[in-house]
Amino acid sequence: MSVEDQPERDKDIVLAGEYTLGLLSADAAAAFEARLVHEPQLRVLYAAWSEDLAGMTDGIAPVAPPAHLAARIEARLDGAAPRRRVGLGWLLGGLAAASVALLLALNAGLFDPGLRLPADPALVAQIAAEDGSLRVAAAYDGDSGALYLDRQAGVAAPGRALELWLIAGDAAPVSLGVLPEAGRAALAVPEELRAGLEGGVLAISDEPPGGSPTGAPTGAVLAVGPITAS
Amino acid sequence: MGVEEIENLIARCATGDRAAFRGLYSATSAKLFGVLLRVLDERAEAEDALQDVYVKIWHNAGRYRANGLSPMTWLITIARNHGIDRLRRRREAQPGLDQAEAMSDPAPGPETRLIAASEQTRLVGCFGELERDRAEAVRRAYLQGETYAELAARFDVPLNTMRTWLRRSLLKLRECLSR
Repeated sequence: MSVEDQPERDKDIVLAGEYTLGLLSADAAAAFEARLVHEPQLRVLYAAWSEDLAGMTDGIAPVAPPAHLAARIEARLDGAAPRRRVGLGWLLGGLAAASVALLLALNAGLFDPGLRLPADPALVAQIAAEDGSLRVAAAYDGDSGALYLDRQAGVAAPGRALELWLIAGDAAPVSLGVLPEAGRAALAVPEELRAGLEGGVLAISDEPPGGSPTGAPTGAVLAVGPITAS
Repeated sequence: MGVEEIENLIARCATGDRAAFRGLYSATSAKLFGVLLRVLDERAEAEDALQDVYVKIWHNAGRYRANGLSPMTWLITIARNHGIDRLRRRREAQPGLDQAEAMSDPAPGPETRLIAASEQTRLVGCFGELERDRAEAVRRAYLQGETYAELAARFDVPLNTMRTWLRRSLLKLRECLSR
């Protein structure tokens, strides 16, 4: 490796480590996740940090959970709609997207909880239920492609999840992911969806834990909000 | 249970094989429960979190291969991240508790003495090359989800100093782990 490459490499080593630890701001975490889609070397760094830092759990003794939990978990799985089988084509074609989606699932909410919505977002939306029982403010940072969410009112129903959808023009809803339990969150909007944000609509539906198993909303739409320039 | 067997169970979960899920739970839940107890330090919450974690594992089993993590690391990462998320929400909701924690001695806890020299992982060896408070900061970030601001307050250093501690520690760890 040339002398010129090392500082960049060091920056990425640190960034991947901070991301794995959960030390990045929402901004920086979203930008990192966007890079992961396109940079295999960064994914390797993330995997290495995950493996190595998990070594901190080696000394943690196993503790048998209470016997009744297994049945409770199965009951929750039973509550979910039948899952679509994962075909090979999806795995091959969507490899990068799949790993980022899991990273969002793994790391969802795992950034500095002191995050604030950006001061000067390109686009905003108020995703609200008619009766105000669920209200999520959204702000989109055009530079980083990060969508910030602030769940101001409402929570997922017990044993259910809230999933966020983008409806661009006449297109079918596309999932942006499951809202994490943290009140404030940020996610990286995939590049191919960004053009559809302006003039689009954000919606939140009630789904089984982990989100819709079908790729389309399966539960009730709880809240909607048009996306407008701020 | 070996690595290949766990991978096989995860792969079968991805096809909706409930018997494989039960086998995976049986083989791994005690370890993940231990991790959640360590992170959350509260039994009822750890029990709730364990359920969420295994539901996540079920729904994301199809994405295991895409990640490049070994199976136990994948499972532990899901558990640890979910635990940290809950812990941070709890801290946000009850800031007073944070104050009491901040007063306590930041010295390493008993778990750091659990690993006998002969069983030391590479990470423990490499941690030994860091200064004690730097190592403690990395541990607190990983196991307690402490933020830069919280770590700076705990160690009574400016925020930028803590960022530098972490960055240098991560580089040292990566260099040591690559040897």
